[in-house]
Amino acid sequence: MINVLFFGPVVERTGIRDCQIPCVEGMTLQSLRDLLAARYPHAFEIVCFCAVNGQQVRDLSVELVDGSEVTFMAKFSGG
Amino acid sequence: MKDAVRIQQDDFSQDEEITALKAGSLRMGGIATFVGCARDFSEGRAVSQISFDAYGSMALSEMNQLRLDAIEKYSLLDARIVHRLCTVTAGENIVFIAAGAEHRVAALDACRWMIDELKVRVPIWKKEVTPEGGAWLTSHP
Repeated sequence: MINVLFFGPVVERTGIRDCQIPCVEGMTLQSLRDLLAARYPHAFEIVCFCAVNGQQVRDLSVELVDGSEVTFMAKFSGG
Repeated sequence: MKDAVRIQQDDFSQDEEITALKAGSLRMGGIATFVGCARDFSEGRAVSQISFDAYGSMALSEMNQLRLDAIEKYSLLDARIVHRLCTVTAGENIVFIAAGAEHRVAALDACRWMIDELKVRVPIWKKEVTPEGGAWLTSHP
């Protein structure tokens, strides 16, 4: 399974803080994003960044492995 | 001694943080600090409270890396970053940043750089509560 986390303004739009998505062979960050964006289109309007296992990833072609923790995040506003 | 980089609910003591920073080196001739605090007005609206959400593990990791980057980039003797995660009202502290260097220019430049970088690198989100309800913020310049 892929463990997906949402935070802050994205949670407000998904209505959930996390979900589990079955990991299929060859699944990329882009395909996971597409799957979730179809499920939560309003939330993904504000998604700017994603991270895999706590590391920001810009290359969406990266392949995911079972147990990965993936986060789709809005623009940060701390400080 | 408390860690140089922390995320915590409770308020911080600027005196304690500066004392800890100075303890690292007697060669420190300049210390610059930044304190971010809650305002009661934002974008034309009264603000009664500010709350936060964070990807805690990544936020702490990024803050640690940010400190190391600042030390290297500005040849600092030490640096500290503390961010609160709780609900605050106007006037309460949110974030503390300190940079210690041999001279003032490096300390001042590094302090400014760290708060600017924190805003774009660290996964923390701020929600302002107004009479019209809550609103998640996009970052301020």
